[in-house]
Amino acid sequence: APLARQPLGCLKAGLRQARQQRLFRRQLATAATKIRSRTGPGLGPLPEPNFYKIQDPKTGKIRTAFAVYNPPSVIKDAHSSDIKPKPVTEFVDGKPVFRLPWTNRNTTMPKVLTAPVTDPLPALHAAQIERLDPTGARTAMFAKTKQGVRAGDILTVTHRRGGEPFSGVCLSIRRAGIDTAILLRNHLSKVGVEMWFKIYNRNVAGIELVKRRLKRARRARLTFMRQPKHDMGSVSEIVHDWRASRKVFTS
Amino acid sequence: MAPRLPARCWRQLQPTSLSRPPLSHTLPLGLALPPAARLLSHTTPRGVKYGWSTQSPKARPRRFNQPSMGLPEPTTGPAAALKRRERTTPKRTGVLAIKKGMTAFMGRSGTRIPCTVLQLDRVQIVANKTRAQHGYWAVQVGLGERQPDNVGAPMLGFFEARGMAPKRDMAEFKVRDQTGLLPVGVQLLPDWFHIGQWVDVRANSRGMGFAGGMKRHGFSGQEASHGNSLNHRTIGTVGPSQGSGSRVLPGKKMPGRMGGQQATIQNLPVLMVDNELGIVVVKGNIPGPKGCTVKIQDAVKKSPPPQEFIDETRRVLDERFPDAQERLSEARKKHMELKEARKQGRISEILKAGVTGEDVPEAMENARG
Repeated sequence: APLARQPLGCLKAGLRQARQQRLFRRQLATAATKIRSRTGPGLGPLPEPNFYKIQDPKTGKIRTAFAVYNPPSVIKDAHSSDIKPKPVTEFVDGKPVFRLPWTNRNTTMPKVLTAPVTDPLPALHAAQIERLDPTGARTAMFAKTKQGVRAGDILTVTHRRGGEPFSGVCLSIRRAGIDTAILLRNHLSKVGVEMWFKIYNRNVAGIELVKRRLKRARRARLTFMRQPKHDMGSVSEIVHDWRASRKVFTS
Repeated sequence: MAPRLPARCWRQLQPTSLSRPPLSHTLPLGLALPPAARLLSHTTPRGVKYGWSTQSPKARPRRFNQPSMGLPEPTTGPAAALKRRERTTPKRTGVLAIKKGMTAFMGRSGTRIPCTVLQLDRVQIVANKTRAQHGYWAVQVGLGERQPDNVGAPMLGFFEARGMAPKRDMAEFKVRDQTGLLPVGVQLLPDWFHIGQWVDVRANSRGMGFAGGMKRHGFSGQEASHGNSLNHRTIGTVGPSQGSGSRVLPGKKMPGRMGGQQATIQNLPVLMVDNELGIVVVKGNIPGPKGCTVKIQDAVKKSPPPQEFIDETRRVLDERFPDAQERLSEARKKHMELKEARKQGRISEILKAGVTGEDVPEAMENARG
C-alpha cells in the first residue's frame, strides 16, 4: 500500500527506526573499524568420549552407557587479578579514539569451552583502583600496615569542588575494594556530624592525616565515641594547630 | 446404521496361508480377510475405540478460510499470535549467566554507578525451536557443567547426540524469526552484547520463605502499645461479614510463601563486557542471590540493536566456530550407532572394544589432582 494510505502508527515506527539507524551510522571522523575477527579454532574435532556407565547395583552388570564429551573439567583457579580487564576507551596522544559503540569491548577469544575464573570481582576492583589511584598513595594510606591510617586518627578531607574541608576523627574504615570508605566525626557549632567518604571517588580531592591516636585503639569501630563520655568534640583546634605547624618556613 | 453381522457369516471368507489378509486394525479383532474381501464395501469401524465418524481422517478439511481465497487474515490462532508479538520479540537470542556480585564504577567526574557482574560460563547453543515443528521460533541455550552422575539417562542421550557435556542450566529464548536461530554447539561469549546496549535481565528472586502480611503485602500492622495485645504484626480484619457473602473473598492478601519466583528487570544498560573474565556488567541490581542463573536478552521495550551489529555478531560466530555443523553431524552419527547398540544390548561389548579414554569418574579425579 502506498505510504500515504498506511496508518500513522506504521509511519511513526518507520521514522523511529530510521532515526535510530542514523545514530549508528559511521561518522567521517574515523574510518569504520571492524572488530578484531579472526578464524577461530572452532570447537575442534569431536574428542574421544568417556563413557558413563549405568550399572545394576546388585549384579554389577552394565545396563547402559552414554558417551560424555569433555567430561567436567576442574581447572585450577587462576588468581583472578592476573587477568586484567581491557580498558574501554583507547587513547591515542591523550585523545580518546572514537569507535562504533559496539567495538568498545574486549573481543579477544578465550580458550573455547573452559570455565572462567571463579571470582572476577577482585580483578575488576584492582583495575578500577589502578585507574583511580595510579600512584598507589591512597591505597598505601589506608592499607592495614603500621604506617597506614587507623581508627581513631584525625583526618581532613578536601572536596574536589572546593569549599571548607571536612575534618574529623576516623571512627571506622570499611574496606570493600573500590568502595572502600571512611567515617569521620566532628562537631560543627556544637552539633555532632558524621560523614562517610569513598576514598577512591574523584570528588575526594585529598585526604590528609592530621594527628594519629596516641595509643592504638583496641577495636576497629569506635562508635562509642558518640557517647558524651568519650566524645572528642570539635577537632577544629587540632586541625588549626596542625595547619599552622605546616606553614612554618625554614630558612 | 447397518446391523452388526454375527461372526459365523465371516467364517466362509477365512484367509488361506498364501494370501495376505488386509490390515487387521480396521476390522474387529480376531478376523483377517482374504484379498477377495476387498470387493466388499468397507466401512470404517465405529465405536468408542475408533470414534463414531465413518468419514476417513484425510477427508476432514485441514486448512480452510485461507487469506489466499480473498478472506481477511484471522485475528486468532498461532500465526496471528506470533504476528501480534513480533514487535516486542527480540531479534536474536539471549545468554545465560551467573550472578557473581555487585560493585560500583567510579566515574571521572565523581559519579558512582552501582552495577552487577554477570559471568558467562561455557554458554552453548543446545537446540533450536522452529515454527513448523514447535509453533514458534526459539533458541535453547545451556550453561555450565553437570556431573553425569546427576543427569538422568534421557538427558545423557540428549547431550550425547549433540557432542557436548551435560549442562547445569538450560533455557529458551524466543526470537522473532528463523534468522535468529543459531548453529547448535557454538559458544556465546560476552561480546554478544555491546557497551551501552539495553538488556532485560530475568532471574528467580530471593526466597523469603513464609512471610507475614507486613513483609509480603506492605500492611501497616497495628499499634505497638495502647492496649494492643499479641497482635502487633497481624493482618487484622480479613473482610466484611455478611455483606461480602459471610466468607473470606478469594485472593485475600494473607501471609504465605514469598519470593523465589521469576522477576524481570527491564532496560538495564550494559556498562562493560570482557571476554577474558567472561563477564557482562550491567547497571543496577538483579533479582536473586549470588550464584543464581540469570537470563540476559536484548530489551524488548527498546529498539533492537542496529542491524549492522546483529550481522556482525552473527558473522563472528561463524568465524569462530566454522566446524559446528560438521561436529554436530559427527556426534549425531555416533549417537545413532550407540543408540542402536544400547537397544540391542551390545553396549558392554562396545565399551570393552572401543573405550580408549578413562571412565568419567576417573577422568574427573585426574583433572582435579
